[in-house]
Amino acid sequence: MEGKVGLGLRRDIAEEILDSRILTPDFLEFAPENWMGMGGAWKRVMDRAVESFPITCHGLSLSLGSPEELDWQFIRELKSFLDENRVTIFSEHLSYTKSRNAHLYDLLPIPFRRDAIDHVVDRIRRVQDLLERPLAIENVSYYTPVAAEMTEAEFVNEIVERADCKLLLDVNNVYVNAFNHRYDAKEFIGALPLERVAYIHMAGHEQVEPDLIIDTHGQPIIDPVYDLFEWTIQKMDPVPVLLERDFNFEDLEQIQGELTQIKGILNRHWEVTHASA
Amino acid sequence: MHLRKETISIQERLGEYCRTGVKLELPGVTPGRIHHYRRLISNVVNDTLHTAFPITVAALGEHQWELLVQDFFADGIPQTPQVWKLPFEFYQYHAGRETGKRIGKPFLDDLLYFEWMEIEIHTMPDRPFPDFVTEGELFNDRLVFNPEHEIIQLSFPVHTHPVREAIELEGEHYALLYRMPESGHVQFLNLSALNIYIITRLQEEKVTLNEIKNEIARVAGIESGRYLDEALQKFLGDLMERKLILGFTRN
Repeated sequence: MEGKVGLGLRRDIAEEILDSRILTPDFLEFAPENWMGMGGAWKRVMDRAVESFPITCHGLSLSLGSPEELDWQFIRELKSFLDENRVTIFSEHLSYTKSRNAHLYDLLPIPFRRDAIDHVVDRIRRVQDLLERPLAIENVSYYTPVAAEMTEAEFVNEIVERADCKLLLDVNNVYVNAFNHRYDAKEFIGALPLERVAYIHMAGHEQVEPDLIIDTHGQPIIDPVYDLFEWTIQKMDPVPVLLERDFNFEDLEQIQGELTQIKGILNRHWEVTHASA
Repeated sequence: MHLRKETISIQERLGEYCRTGVKLELPGVTPGRIHHYRRLISNVVNDTLHTAFPITVAALGEHQWELLVQDFFADGIPQTPQVWKLPFEFYQYHAGRETGKRIGKPFLDDLLYFEWMEIEIHTMPDRPFPDFVTEGELFNDRLVFNPEHEIIQLSFPVHTHPVREAIELEGEHYALLYRMPESGHVQFLNLSALNIYIITRLQEEKVTLNEIKNEIARVAGIESGRYLDEALQKFLGDLMERKLILGFTRN
């Protein structure tokens, strides 16, 4: 999977991908919550995908940062799903999606605080133990810090090191956060434990205010994000790279163009490294 | 628990704001940014429910629909980690509070339930199909039903009539929803109580039509004879054409 370029399996484009008409990713990523427990036509689509492609999974609702207890029943079902579908990488968000026992279905920012680090580290370790596989934790985009007592880089680094987990480096999220919170994206990435990166996400975003970008996954990747990606991969070993696109599927040629462009950047740097190794 | 009470309170207050929209003070936030979280979360919930219940939205109108969604999200404590199952919790929430009666739309429970069941049947886990043969005798062999179906009872026939007409027809109404074996598409049948009785008996008791023919006649209050045979032949033959009955078994 190292150096391969994948695409999220969304229902709108599932048949297009499976029939290899325009979109030709190397692997596919599922959000398990969108497919678990499903039968019928969608199960058949998922089964075809699993037969045809290597699969990664990107979770939405573990809510690693929530105060309330983890949903162990759900995590057991998740383990079965990951095992049945021969999932190679499982990732989740460094955020919380549940509050006072209510699911919120989006990613809220965890306060960058020491007690939150202790809490999240403990939960990641317990989840990894039950799933019997490492978690790759994603640096999420956020639109405001909340009651922070340290920097985002300090927060992410300590969690990943102490939980002994992997990192899903979302390059677009770094770009979005650097813009929204006025920090240097390269400095941030340089401070991360890049040897722990197991997976990279790339995506498009939307600038909604002069000083605010929202991480939408609905637009093409912009050049500064490609530049940041190219800069980043030269500092690390090859890993799989995923293009996230959640909507706006009208122009599939354009999406395939993004997959090709990512692959071209990878080939410029990672294949050379392999050849000389 | 490693979290300090203060951190828990901050996290819960942010979550509460996202659900209710009630303004709050949080330490260390960038001014003018928090509302984006409520907006993004509301978009997910609204889109999910709007897509799941198109007939209900049309029947209520956008304004009344939005009030129902707001009530649910502020007060309903969504439990499922799988957002595509949220419409069921929305139905349960409003049925449990008799919202339909309260807002003068007594058909609301039935309409939400029927629209949810279409999703449920489409997405439910596969059920094992029994062995069957396609050649057999309708009255003497046991019939094999497509296991991927559910029977629901409604007070208003919202599955067959526009709500303005359905509301005048309160009573006992039945629909059978099933998944087509090849395509996975959902079909539904409007059935009488007697139809349901026949289907249920044939399936659950593993009997042949001949074995329960007299019983059917008693329940229907008619003579067992040619008229009943012809009616049964027509009804069950139709179910075979529609692939609710898959075939026959002698096991």
